[in-house]
Amino acid sequence: MSLFGLRVSGWQLSTLFLAGLLLFIAFPATAQDKVPASPIMVPNPATDLWRAVRQREGAASGQTQVRGIETGVLIEQRGEAFREYRRRDFIGNAGIFIGVIAGLVLLFYILRGRINIPGGRSGRRIKRFADFERTLHWFTAIVFIFLALTGLTLLFGRFVVLPVFGAEAFGVIASACKEGHNLFGPLFIVAVVLLFIRFAWRNLPSRGDLTWLVKGGGIIGKAHVTAGFFNAGEKIWFWSVMVLGLAVSISGLVLIFPTLGQPRDIMQLALFVHGIAAVLFIAGSFGHIYIGTIGTEGSLESMTTGYVDENWAEAHHDRWHAETVAQAARGADRHASADTTGAVHATTDKA
Amino acid sequence: MANMKFYCDAERCIECNACVTACKNENEVPWGVNRRRVVTIKDGEPGERSLSVACMHCADAPCAAVCPVDCFYTTEDGVVLHDKDICIGCGYCFYACPFGAPQFPKAGAFASRGKMDKCTFCAGGPKETGSAEEHRMYGSNRLAEGKLPLCAEMCSTKALIAGDADVVSDIYRRRVVNRGASVLDWGVNYDKASLRAPQSVKGKASSDG
Repeated sequence: MSLFGLRVSGWQLSTLFLAGLLLFIAFPATAQDKVPASPIMVPNPATDLWRAVRQREGAASGQTQVRGIETGVLIEQRGEAFREYRRRDFIGNAGIFIGVIAGLVLLFYILRGRINIPGGRSGRRIKRFADFERTLHWFTAIVFIFLALTGLTLLFGRFVVLPVFGAEAFGVIASACKEGHNLFGPLFIVAVVLLFIRFAWRNLPSRGDLTWLVKGGGIIGKAHVTAGFFNAGEKIWFWSVMVLGLAVSISGLVLIFPTLGQPRDIMQLALFVHGIAAVLFIAGSFGHIYIGTIGTEGSLESMTTGYVDENWAEAHHDRWHAETVAQAARGADRHASADTTGAVHATTDKA
Repeated sequence: MANMKFYCDAERCIECNACVTACKNENEVPWGVNRRRVVTIKDGEPGERSLSVACMHCADAPCAAVCPVDCFYTTEDGVVLHDKDICIGCGYCFYACPFGAPQFPKAGAFASRGKMDKCTFCAGGPKETGSAEEHRMYGSNRLAEGKLPLCAEMCSTKALIAGDADVVSDIYRRRVVNRGASVLDWGVNYDKASLRAPQSVKGKASSDG
């Protein structure tokens, strides 16, 4: 076949036709664009002005004699987004999320049960946390639980607590929650800063963390995983506490002083960050509390007494255990070289 | 039952702020609280317009939707009110309101936010109607006395209208008919050349006028 003097085979032509058809289907607008548009170009300053007012564009913000936050703004259009976020997106989904995480933790407990110390308790105990560290942990925990309970009451109370106690009583409860939340909030910032100073160094990523993560921390199955003083899971929780703590602290400081004149969009953003970070924080705390209490035998006593069983240490933090034992041996050796009595040698052998 | 609404006619408002003053005086609102304010846009420029704004008593009020303690309610006259005994002063209503209506007096040792205060359409509050306590907490209850909000009642140019939505919209409709609100009226007195409307549309508008 010959086309414009070129020799074209039948399949080439059909391919060309098909490509043209596809192009036409993909861009049908190009065909319509040829029809000249005829907009009615009528200047209407009023329409433009009120549209600008509604959408807060350019010079739409005005002057007013009334002093206050954004008093010159006629219409704040972000308010509707804030309403939809809070009522449609946040409250319901936050409730579902917290419920699902609590359910998963429960399901895990039912399926896996408590993780016992392999080989049982040895009866020998090693020091794990100093008094200051334990005090700091429980200080953070108490403040956190208080803030979580008051915060959750303010978030879900209208739908959960109000129908039970009535609007008048819930008004008093909510008011107390708000005041308490504002009063104890700054203490949590202090706790997060102290946690960082005390624990950040030991939570830096180290060799073996990745392997620990790949093996799922040994929580599924019986495989033994190696770890130092803190395992990768604990490190992730620590840095989550830092990041989420920073988020709730900064947004909380913005929210706690509403009379400093922050514009509404800053407050909306702060509530957005504060709410989401807090819900993630609460959900994460479920996992932390579970593993630290009923999930693992012998874990809680590290934070109550400061000591752990040697077998627990060897099972969960073998490298830390080995270091501690080696250090104790070295200390005993030094002691032994200074003292020449046979009794000390016996202790060294034991260690 | 009536469905109470405010309307502010931007073609009439002269930014005298008398509505603001009348409201403050009638309702004896706390220091720093302004239930009504006049906003002037394009101040000192061509096309300057002023509007008096307060709570617009929305049919589907965003403040009521976001309130964590559900202290808002709508009266049978369509007026959005709130209960200060329940309000915790969290400010969420202020963040959701498009008109910036909710106001907060400073209270407490650290100048924190007190209970919210806003325009009540001069309809008092949930306390006993006409009681001293109602006036102290919520201001005047003119609606119970058969009167309309004072801001609108004393507006010198009748820019601010308050009342049943049907009546308000009827008044505004008549005004529009009388003074003409065709899009073509804008600028036609000043510069006919600036009018770029097709001839067909232009003919229709002039025959109507």
